[in-house]
Amino acid sequence: MPWSELDTAAVARALSQIAEQPDDVVDAYFERREEVELPPEDNAPGLRVWREEGFAVRLLRGQRCWMASRDGIAERPFAEALRQVARALPSVGYPEPQVRPAPTASLEDVASELRDFPAAVARAIRAHHVGIAVRMTLRRHRRWLQVVGPRLVAEPQSERFYGCVVESSWGRCGALLPRLDAAAAEEVAAATVALFRARHAPPPASQHGVVVLAPAAVAVLLHEAVAHALEADVLARGGSPEAALGLALAAPCLDVLDDPAGAPPEVRRTSDDEGLPVSRRWLLRGGVVEQPLADTAWSRIAPALVPGAGRRGSRHLPPGPRSTHLELLPGDCKESDLLAQAGGGLFLPTASRGGLDPLSGEFTLCLPHGRRIRRGALGEPVGPCTLRGQVADLLARATAVGSETVPAGAGWCAKGGQKLPVWATAPALRLEDVTVEADA
Amino acid sequence: MTAAAVDATVEQVLRELVRRGLPEVEVLTKRGRSRRLVLELGNETSAYSQERAWAVRASSRRGSFFAAGAGELPAGEAWPELSGRAFRLPEPEAAAPWSQPSDFEAPLIGESEGLQLLAGLGRELAAELPGARLLHAALEDGSSEGELASSRGLRVAFRRRLATLRLEAAGPGPGPGRPGAGAAFYLAAREARGFHPKALARRLADRLSVEATGAPPRQGSAAGSGGAGVPRGELLLAPPVAVTLLAHLLPLLIGPEAAARISSLRDRQGRIGSERLTIVDNGRLAGGALEYPIDGEGMPCREAVLVEEGVFRQPLLAWWQVNGAAPGAASGCCRRPSWRDLPLPGPTHLYLRPDPRLSVAALLADVVDGHYLIDATGPARFDPAGDRFALPVCGFAVEAGRATAPIARAWLCGTVAALFKGIAAVARDLFFLPLDGMLGSPTLLVTGLELRAAP
Repeated sequence: MPWSELDTAAVARALSQIAEQPDDVVDAYFERREEVELPPEDNAPGLRVWREEGFAVRLLRGQRCWMASRDGIAERPFAEALRQVARALPSVGYPEPQVRPAPTASLEDVASELRDFPAAVARAIRAHHVGIAVRMTLRRHRRWLQVVGPRLVAEPQSERFYGCVVESSWGRCGALLPRLDAAAAEEVAAATVALFRARHAPPPASQHGVVVLAPAAVAVLLHEAVAHALEADVLARGGSPEAALGLALAAPCLDVLDDPAGAPPEVRRTSDDEGLPVSRRWLLRGGVVEQPLADTAWSRIAPALVPGAGRRGSRHLPPGPRSTHLELLPGDCKESDLLAQAGGGLFLPTASRGGLDPLSGEFTLCLPHGRRIRRGALGEPVGPCTLRGQVADLLARATAVGSETVPAGAGWCAKGGQKLPVWATAPALRLEDVTVEADA
Repeated sequence: MTAAAVDATVEQVLRELVRRGLPEVEVLTKRGRSRRLVLELGNETSAYSQERAWAVRASSRRGSFFAAGAGELPAGEAWPELSGRAFRLPEPEAAAPWSQPSDFEAPLIGESEGLQLLAGLGRELAAELPGARLLHAALEDGSSEGELASSRGLRVAFRRRLATLRLEAAGPGPGPGRPGAGAAFYLAAREARGFHPKALARRLADRLSVEATGAPPRQGSAAGSGGAGVPRGELLLAPPVAVTLLAHLLPLLIGPEAAARISSLRDRQGRIGSERLTIVDNGRLAGGALEYPIDGEGMPCREAVLVEEGVFRQPLLAWWQVNGAAPGAASGCCRRPSWRDLPLPGPTHLYLRPDPRLSVAALLADVVDGHYLIDATGPARFDPAGDRFALPVCGFAVEAGRATAPIARAWLCGTVAALFKGIAAVARDLFFLPLDGMLGSPTLLVTGLELRAAP
């Protein structure tokens, strides 16, 4: 952790000076991040490294928020930021607490652990008896956080994960991976091979029927249709966010939680980006909305909402309510049973992206390929298609949940320009009477 | 832009890396500040950011690297190992004389001034369309300056000034708990004071009102109908509609491969569009939000005419793409949106050239039976193989130059060739949107496209 030399007690004392009113919320957010990218071999420049650190000071008073942020972490800029955020200036300057982080490691050899992975994926692709040329971009993401409040100093947090994009003549696929091991190489290889094997498959005819979504596609569905739909700021567009509590949004078979502490160890969190402890938050219990996602600001407006889901894409942007690690609790249906009752339908293993229009509630899930289900087994491949519908209507059409959950990186979410990784653990899911449109 | 005496640390890093056997070295340093003001459903946020960052890229024949970071440029550091392919940097070129616009010196918008602008927008919207409300309004006003230096002798200082405004609004709902139509705008100007609340509120209100009250186009309407009962009359495309289509057509205009891609649109005379179609890109467009005499690699920007009176002249090319594979010359079009990004070719101000003699009112008056499409309500769907597109739009039905009924949930359908060749007139109201760079178009009078109720 780079925060060993950060005098958090002195920072807390300095913050307490600008919290003049009893309900004021003040915090300082310190961030260091590093990204190392290994582009495809034929790209220039070669190895790419981004390193940054900085901080933000924030004051929340009523429904107003003031924030000042800086690149770099040093005493003088910190005192300046305090002064910019404070609503009343003291007769003497603010103290300059020691805020220097530990020095960064040398840039030499930052990519050693990335080098073997492209070869491991190539081997895994060959193990599928497929020989195709691929171009891989591999990026390691590391982030260290420290949030300090006037009365609470949260435990430092860190995240480490990998982003991988594979391009071939038949399209591109991406994955977020908590670690680079043999299982990760196989996951990437399997997705690449599936895209290759579906290369000549025509899109399915637009239809209204049954689909079985594999866990990777369920992860994107949960993120777009459940998590985004239950973010306090999205709910507020239709009225009071609290009005959603107790609403039957989905089929009774859907139990969905956001549990940052249950994420893979490399990205596990004990506190959010506002320094508040995270909780195992039931978004849907038996299809009924129980606890939407909220941060401090929204929980002050809607007191029935519990904070602890505040996330920020950067120190320069204020936090907002977002999910971190979604879980769909397993049902009692084996995958073979899910398929057995889906004759004539589609098995959709992965989703390339999804979208939710917060005002209209229209939801789309883009699926790059799939398989026809025939007599309870997977049949011929089909090409790209889109699952489309109204969120509540779509979630109400879930009829069975698989019994085996698997971790899946749902992918990058860029709501409001704040790009954040989102994770999920999900089983397969069967939806009936849903609309699937063929893609051009 | 000036030939700069760069920071001593920059010179030190250049020397260090050249001494280590890397003949191609480029160092960028950048400082910026911005104010961001947000109104969202009763919440008010005021944020002030100061950024300071650097980026270094270097290459030898053995490979290359790119390193970037926030804070001070590190000197005397170990740099990343070399990998990938080698690259070369451009030879410095002098840019034509340019006078910095006065608004580069304007201070950032103040907190109360900016919040008043947003609140005023909300009030104006409510006045224009009772029941409508602003869901989200975010104003960001920023400026930056920096230096770019290379081992080839480039030494330039640069400044940037840009403000953006993101608006989301909802119209009056049809009943309690039922939200109305929504609309979102994203706009850019050189400084925040360039946004006019009343005009923006009117645009939002028009869009919301049309979406709320409009109906899909009638199939088989008598006048102006195509053979299959699809309205095919004259279509007046307002700038947001034309720009949304243009954004999807950039692959036909950018990079060496564009010449081959666009060749399928050529007719026997070698034309790809009507005589009214002229498309240019110009990084130093006077008054443009991104106006500047040099690009992200320090190369001079100049106007590049990509399509002239319906004839394809050249694609947009960076200096390293000019190798005879495609016609044309480089125009200084490598963009570097942030210190985190590598310079990449792309449009700066790419636009359909307007006709200063024609007003929108004059074009509208000439529409006997057709539609005036004021906005795109979603992204276009393109069939890359068949060249066909479908764009969700809203607007008005027009008869004898007068709007007769609002149209919503409509799809503008056709082919790229029909769009280019069907441009019958262009107005003078050039308008830019921040999409992939600033993309602009005036109002277009087009024939040969269809307006459908479904894609």
